[in-house]
Amino acid sequence: MEISRDAYRAIEDIVGPDNVTDDPALLDSYAFEVMAETVRPDQSHFMPRPWAAVLPGSTEEVLAVTRVCNKYKIKLKPISTGWYHWAAPLIDNEPTIQFDLRRMNRILEIDEKNRFAIIEPYVIGAQLQAEVMKRGLNFSIIGAGSSCSVLASACAYSGVGPGAYNMGGNAEALLGQEWVTPGGEIIRTGSLSSGCGWFCSEGPGPSLRGITRGVFGSRGGLGTFTKCAIKLSHYPGPPVMEAQGRLPGYRLPIHENFRVYTIGAPDWDAWANCYHEIYDNRIGYIFHKQFGFAGANIAPAMWLNYIDPTKTLNDVETALKDPEIQKVIEEARISFQFVMAGNSTDDIQLQDKILDAILANTGCYKVKRYCEQDFAEFTNMYMQRLGHKHCNYVWVGGYLGSWMQPGTPDFVKKYAPIAVKTFERDQKSHLLVECGGDALMGPGSPIPGGGQTALEQFVSYDSADRESIKAAIKHMEDAVVDEAANGLPPGKESIYLQVGWPQEKVFDAWAKMPQQFILNFQRKIKAAFDPNNLGDRNYQWLPEGWGQKKPVEAKPTEPPK
Amino acid sequence: MPLEDLRLDAMRCTRCAYCKWIPFDLVKSWRFSKGCPSIEYGKFHSYSAGGRLITALSLLEGRSTVTEKVIDTVFKCTLCGQCDVSCKMCRYDLEPLADMRELRSTLVQDGHELLQLKPVLEGLRTEFNMLGQSKKLRGNWIADLQIKDLTKEKAKIVFHAGCRYSFDGELGHVARTAVKILQKADVDFGIMGKQENCCGGHAYDMGYRQDFRTRADFNLRAWSEAGVDTVITPCSDCYFAFKRLYTAEAGSTIKVIHMVEFVDRLIKAGQLKLTKPVPMTVTYHDPCHLGRQGETYVPWAGVEKKIFGQAVCYEPPRPRYNGAFGIYEPPRDVLKAIPGLELVEMERIKEAGWCCGAGGGASQAYPEFSRWTATERIEEAKSTGAEAIVSACPWCERNFLDATSGNGTNMKVLDIMELVEQAL
Repeated sequence: MEISRDAYRAIEDIVGPDNVTDDPALLDSYAFEVMAETVRPDQSHFMPRPWAAVLPGSTEEVLAVTRVCNKYKIKLKPISTGWYHWAAPLIDNEPTIQFDLRRMNRILEIDEKNRFAIIEPYVIGAQLQAEVMKRGLNFSIIGAGSSCSVLASACAYSGVGPGAYNMGGNAEALLGQEWVTPGGEIIRTGSLSSGCGWFCSEGPGPSLRGITRGVFGSRGGLGTFTKCAIKLSHYPGPPVMEAQGRLPGYRLPIHENFRVYTIGAPDWDAWANCYHEIYDNRIGYIFHKQFGFAGANIAPAMWLNYIDPTKTLNDVETALKDPEIQKVIEEARISFQFVMAGNSTDDIQLQDKILDAILANTGCYKVKRYCEQDFAEFTNMYMQRLGHKHCNYVWVGGYLGSWMQPGTPDFVKKYAPIAVKTFERDQKSHLLVECGGDALMGPGSPIPGGGQTALEQFVSYDSADRESIKAAIKHMEDAVVDEAANGLPPGKESIYLQVGWPQEKVFDAWAKMPQQFILNFQRKIKAAFDPNNLGDRNYQWLPEGWGQKKPVEAKPTEPPK
Repeated sequence: MPLEDLRLDAMRCTRCAYCKWIPFDLVKSWRFSKGCPSIEYGKFHSYSAGGRLITALSLLEGRSTVTEKVIDTVFKCTLCGQCDVSCKMCRYDLEPLADMRELRSTLVQDGHELLQLKPVLEGLRTEFNMLGQSKKLRGNWIADLQIKDLTKEKAKIVFHAGCRYSFDGELGHVARTAVKILQKADVDFGIMGKQENCCGGHAYDMGYRQDFRTRADFNLRAWSEAGVDTVITPCSDCYFAFKRLYTAEAGSTIKVIHMVEFVDRLIKAGQLKLTKPVPMTVTYHDPCHLGRQGETYVPWAGVEKKIFGQAVCYEPPRPRYNGAFGIYEPPRDVLKAIPGLELVEMERIKEAGWCCGAGGGASQAYPEFSRWTATERIEEAKSTGAEAIVSACPWCERNFLDATSGNGTNMKVLDIMELVEQAL
């Protein structure tokens, strides 16, 4: 859609001509997003094309361009590392500026003593971890991996991962943020706003964390976060990760005060009991059900193949005929990865003893082959740096996550078998990767100290095959039905699907949500910070009176008697 | 290969952006974590490998046309292959580097050429070199050395100096040094002298396939007539062209050895003894065409097949080029064999090495970008405390010399052969 050249020139004046483009092919590189083919007409891989892509270099430039957007009523959508179909504009023919924040890529400060880092949007997990580890510190890299923006996960998306059990997710580790609202103001949250520094997101000063992020974050729908502070945690390992071996299966030697295990469980009850006992005993450092995402029926063949640089996927088929591999498959069918870190030899030896006792109590066990040195070192590298997370796509170019309802291990163990059974059913079409019904992955605990977990079903499909894409869509639609039939709320797939819905359908669905009054409240927030409605619906809100004659009033919950 | 053949890779790219970084397991600092010179310089996503795949898909679907900006994104890249390494950390089904070469070739075939490259290509077609110099000057580097002339005599081994060593006066001594080392080791070899031709590798990377093929056919015929079965070269770009491109595109079966591999073998076999101390601290820069792109080519003609319903593999299995088996240790072993010399490593080495900026026609078409890329590498070399950056490719060395000249840096730029000569 044509927009006034005046707007374009105004933006050019702010960021310079080299930092803005409206070339259609260049814009398509922002419209192209993973999973677009599951929600777009004709299975197009392109979301709506932005009107221009802009590379601001500073908060001031973000602010100035945002004000131009307000003047000309142009929507705005920031991305940092940018991944998922919701990172692109959502609606056709709606002029949108795509902020690509890659020029804002600095680590501004690492306060070693007070344990926080101040970062810009394009700092990725691997960079920040490498720098803070030199100072004996660490933070939780999110499940999507070290390729991702730390700020984005902290300020605008769900920032959990394998390290969250010990260090907290990035949403919790967020200590303050600088935010350019869609309305064109700079807001600083928490203690920062009172001139006290970046130590607390809740104040003294305005606590806007609940407004700007919630559990899932605004995903670019509520302006641009230009700086944030992340809480850092003590790291008892060496200051530099010295990867060994050949790619892709680099290995990280296991420090004397570390242990790296894969724990198997005979059934879901034992799995849940083991989680509870780990929480109770507060052992462990990184805790994640990771390698099963390649599918319990074939995952060990894939991973043991993956660490051999001479092998290709063809070799996985052959490996499956090996009785030793079949043995590992059965041992690791329900399993998770567990890295323990001690502050001393005594500490790690105690944790080892406690783990052994937990395994004896619960009937769980160490998966022998996965605990051998080569694979354990690979696991150590994988889990600490999370630099292989796009093995999500190891089978082929399409992946989606379904289920993923968070809850206690006792809650999750109830839906896990259902997720397994229904995925087995869906694989019978041969249009999804047939890896077995259990391709479940998830954090040992997304909150520090344990108590909560979640499992996401990893569904692989061929993003270049129309029939496979259709099967992926059907799987998502069926998962919503399966979940409802089992009394569960919609899972991650419903968020994916909604990205492609027309605005009215989205509002209709939200109007039926339990406690939808929250979305009416969020309308007021949006009106305050985004008066010209320049952000998209990734920040959820309902138009006044939508779907009802009379807005439902919020009533306080009855106190328990 | 038509643009259509890129469609599957484009549709299966997930825009994960791994192609912009070195493998994450190898990241040791913020400063030296970036892997792709093109995206760091061009900034928009289209300057990455994934971005170029999207451009191909956009063009295929008729969503966009080839504009000046598109041409800029396609050609402003050194084709260093770091993207390929990082992409293949998690993927077995994508070939981003090969795809980018194909995209260039398609654009050239369709008439979308860079004006800056026209004189370079003209020089190649008339003077058979990439430096635009008179072919009469080729071979001047030999000076007073007595070397068998394979246009008149026969030998199984040909020493191929390459365009840069032949015509770049500041670097020609490296070729002379290499020849002296071969003579000292009593190797029976010869040269093509003034009849030596460009390998054509740069033309291939610039998208000019026919020019490459003409040069490949000429060289292979000339070597065949001279009875040659092995080519030794001190140039990594020639090495890649002979080892990978000649085999893949022209069916060559000739054995290809880089000078550092040969010297490494001589040292390990006790045929070359390095005895004189060279008290220096140096860092080694892996040339892209010797390192991650230096893997052996394995002929393959197969088709995609699906296993486990939708997982993609190939029948027969497709060879995998991901830098895992590049030439990394021979140059390091040679340096370690020099008495008194200390090798200190940069953060980005081997398959994760940052490019010198000269490849893919970048130094000819985009000198500022090329120089910026080289300067980045010099900064990394300086961070090690080394007094010299050492390499095994004249194109890298030329770019580093240009990047260090006139900017006050004390960093020396050397070829391994120069250090070997000092140690003899």
